[in-house]
Amino acid sequence: MDRAWIDGRPAAEADALAAAAELLERSRQPFVGGLRTDVSGIRAALGLARRIGAIVDHGESDAIYPLLTALRDGGAFLGAPAEMKRRADRVLVLGDEVAKVAPDLLAMLTETEPDLGVRTRGDAREFRSLCRAPLDSAGRGRAEHVDCAPEDIVDVVGLVRAKLSGRRAGEGAVGGDAVAGLAEFLKGAGFAAVVFAPAELGALGTEQVFGLVSDLNETTRASTLPVSASTNAMGAALQGAWTSGFPLRVGFGRGAAEHDAALFSARRQLSGDGEADLALIVDALAEPGAGGPPCALPQIAVTSEPGAVEGARVTFAVGAAGCDHDAVFYDARFGSFVGRPADAKSELPTAAAILDALADRLGGRVADAA
Amino acid sequence: MLTRLKGGHVVDPANNRNGVGDVFVSDGVVVDAPTDAKAPDETIDCTGLVVMAGAIDIHSHIAGGHVNTARLLLPEWHRAFSARPGETALSKVGWTTEETGLRYAEMGFTMVVEPAMAPSSALHAHLELADTPIIDKATLVVLGNDDLMMSMIRDGESETAIADYVAWTVAASRALGVKCINAGGSAAFKENVRKFDFDDVVPDYGVSSRQIVKTLQKAVTGLGIPHPLHVHCNNLGVPGAASDSIAATIRAAEGDPLHLAHIQFYGYGDEGKRRFSSRAQALADLVNATPEVTVDIGQVMFGQTVTISSDELRQFAGSKQASPKKSVIFDHEANGGGVVPMDYKARSFFNALQWAIGLELFLLIEDPSRVFFTTDHPNGAPFTAYPDVFALLMDRGVRAKWLDALPSSVKKMTQLPELEREYTLEEIAVMTRAAPARLLGTPDRGHLGAGAGADIAVYRPNDDKAAMFGKAAYVLKDGVVVVKDGTVVRRTLGRAVTLRPEPDKAMKTRLDRYFDERYGVSSRWFEVPEGALRRDDPFEVVPCRA
Ligand SMILES: [Zn+2]
Repeated sequence: MDRAWIDGRPAAEADALAAAAELLERSRQPFVGGLRTDVSGIRAALGLARRIGAIVDHGESDAIYPLLTALRDGGAFLGAPAEMKRRADRVLVLGDEVAKVAPDLLAMLTETEPDLGVRTRGDAREFRSLCRAPLDSAGRGRAEHVDCAPEDIVDVVGLVRAKLSGRRAGEGAVGGDAVAGLAEFLKGAGFAAVVFAPAELGALGTEQVFGLVSDLNETTRASTLPVSASTNAMGAALQGAWTSGFPLRVGFGRGAAEHDAALFSARRQLSGDGEADLALIVDALAEPGAGGPPCALPQIAVTSEPGAVEGARVTFAVGAAGCDHDAVFYDARFGSFVGRPADAKSELPTAAAILDALADRLGGRVADAA
Repeated sequence: MLTRLKGGHVVDPANNRNGVGDVFVSDGVVVDAPTDAKAPDETIDCTGLVVMAGAIDIHSHIAGGHVNTARLLLPEWHRAFSARPGETALSKVGWTTEETGLRYAEMGFTMVVEPAMAPSSALHAHLELADTPIIDKATLVVLGNDDLMMSMIRDGESETAIADYVAWTVAASRALGVKCINAGGSAAFKENVRKFDFDDVVPDYGVSSRQIVKTLQKAVTGLGIPHPLHVHCNNLGVPGAASDSIAATIRAAEGDPLHLAHIQFYGYGDEGKRRFSSRAQALADLVNATPEVTVDIGQVMFGQTVTISSDELRQFAGSKQASPKKSVIFDHEANGGGVVPMDYKARSFFNALQWAIGLELFLLIEDPSRVFFTTDHPNGAPFTAYPDVFALLMDRGVRAKWLDALPSSVKKMTQLPELEREYTLEEIAVMTRAAPARLLGTPDRGHLGAGAGADIAVYRPNDDKAAMFGKAAYVLKDGVVVVKDGTVVRRTLGRAVTLRPEPDKAMKTRLDRYFDERYGVSSRWFEVPEGALRRDDPFEVVPCRA
């Protein structure tokens, strides 16, 4: 089985490493992206990026940046899914993305009942949805649906906040009664959970949701469950934070990590309009991705897909993390990192091994951190 | 290979050494002077320098979910965090695992304890620690606000069953000890309780904070876990109530070991026209009179920082004072927590008195082996402020200078100007070396006797104690020179020191079912598999007491 290709033709791994290293060496500004891999793969990618002065972003970080931006602009209230399962007696679902990107989470909430808390346990969980499509099921619980266009959701949340604070709230897109009903629903909760997709509501909409929950916590208890289409991007951003100080979108071009959420985004860099002139793309998970931005740059591919990546100057075949080799991933349900043993160990190298091998060959470019 | 640290002033109170002499190192371990005339392979001339064991920080929030959230919350702070921005190439790296390890090492610290690891965040914490270079690490795992512990107490389960649960948690999370944070208070906050005292009961469980602390203390002692139960008391920072809570908790030690964390935040009375006063004297008296307790201070220093705590109730309350105005409040399983930025200002009466209370406690607690050197990093101040804290403890003149700059209203409320004590080098070595090693149950650390790990810090004496302790002349980690003249010259990887009690099989089966049925998660996810860290030798296991 071929494991490496140069310009689409099978090559020995050593030759491919030499060819990739040469491309990286000659690049004025390399970009390291994709990052669909496990913790050890991302550690290696960040290490390589630091060594070669690359710009780094995850291919799917558009899915998480609205959350990160809102959090660092105004703070957040964040719940763990497992705790909300046991604690939340009332759940507000904002937007239609939730059912698309986190059906498991919704199922967990609809199929169970809260069993902790004097005010919250024992009764069936109640649901409100503010979106287009009503919830599929609310188990034993009562579910009421407020039909709302995606572009109106954030406004309605603002009206609910006004209503809760006793300010005059207009009719808005859903009418005053619906707004009053949502306000009552939340205010009367023992513990309310607001489930939403920050990518759908945007950074400002996400701030509005955190503001709502902050208001609620003045008198009762509430938290949120933000969901995203890319758990993998969230894990990479967390790892980027401890490794470089920033949740990716960093450049190591001047040695120390510099962060710019707009300038260093994968979308901008891969379009060819950014500073990067070469992309190293890691795509080494068994599950299909949410889809990253298209790549208009010459590419080095590190992939668990069979065969050479079309158009790539160099391709390395690697194992799929958690499938071909043991791996550690961020897990959205758990809200932290978990180990996942391999389904069946294969002989394929890990993405980390290829990236480390490249870093070793490029050792001279930028001195080690210390 | 034999290394000789030649002719330094060796300060090693664990071995009653305080004078000029040599220290020999072979294969990463301190050895006796060779009896034959064998020439050392390497000689480090320590003439005129002070030689100590590497320092140990028993309470510093350096890794895990909450710490990492602080990084996300405060991207603007990464430059500000560095003590001397721009001076070294690393000052721009930011508040990272990398920088944490290097900066600690430059000051002569060779082991740091992350004191608040949630069981669900154990793998995350260890991943960060595995990326933290040079220093050794350890963690304390947090229990006491968890449904299972409170249910077991309520249901009158046996001490054995509770100890089995604690042992499983310590083993799975690879911790070195157990911490309890606002026992019952975080759980009560989830029930919308806003104030929680030591004898208040958690709604729905009917279990008091006192019961939780006593139960955990008994389990920890019974399991032979060397580090006593590490307690973060109720009512942190609340004038009056804080000092009542810590006094009640200390009295509840009842002859068994107990460690009280960051007690500065509990030294607060509500006297005076601002209803904020120092109760340091009373608290220090109580600590002095209670030999079974140990404490660390959590010294406040002025400047921007961020508070990181699993005390969700108090962090929510504190979020009203956030500066800048943003914070993150977590409703996780068990403890939850909060990240709240804080800007301690010298011209603020409250912040200045907090600073003074911390120093009063340091100086009024008599036994340096029972009071530990912490800023509760980053809650009172980032650890990069340590050199200044050393100077304040060792030099009255420095204290006087700092006091001069404070509002006069503060000077009336503190006895700090009258406190003449200056910590000696030997007392510093006790507080930051010998005593922490004993407290953590790591006998081959914190001293320079034969058989100790060759973690050694060498300082250049200076009347300016901040300069002396800010940049070690040499640091050896496992016998390898890693720092010269305050700069890292070799980047090694330390290990996480853990206990590994054998978990009871029946308890494991019970927990498999409990986590699956109640939370819908796998008990396996709480485990830190050795291979997951992808390091050659990530752990060092130390035994429980027999
Ligand atoms: Zn702490």
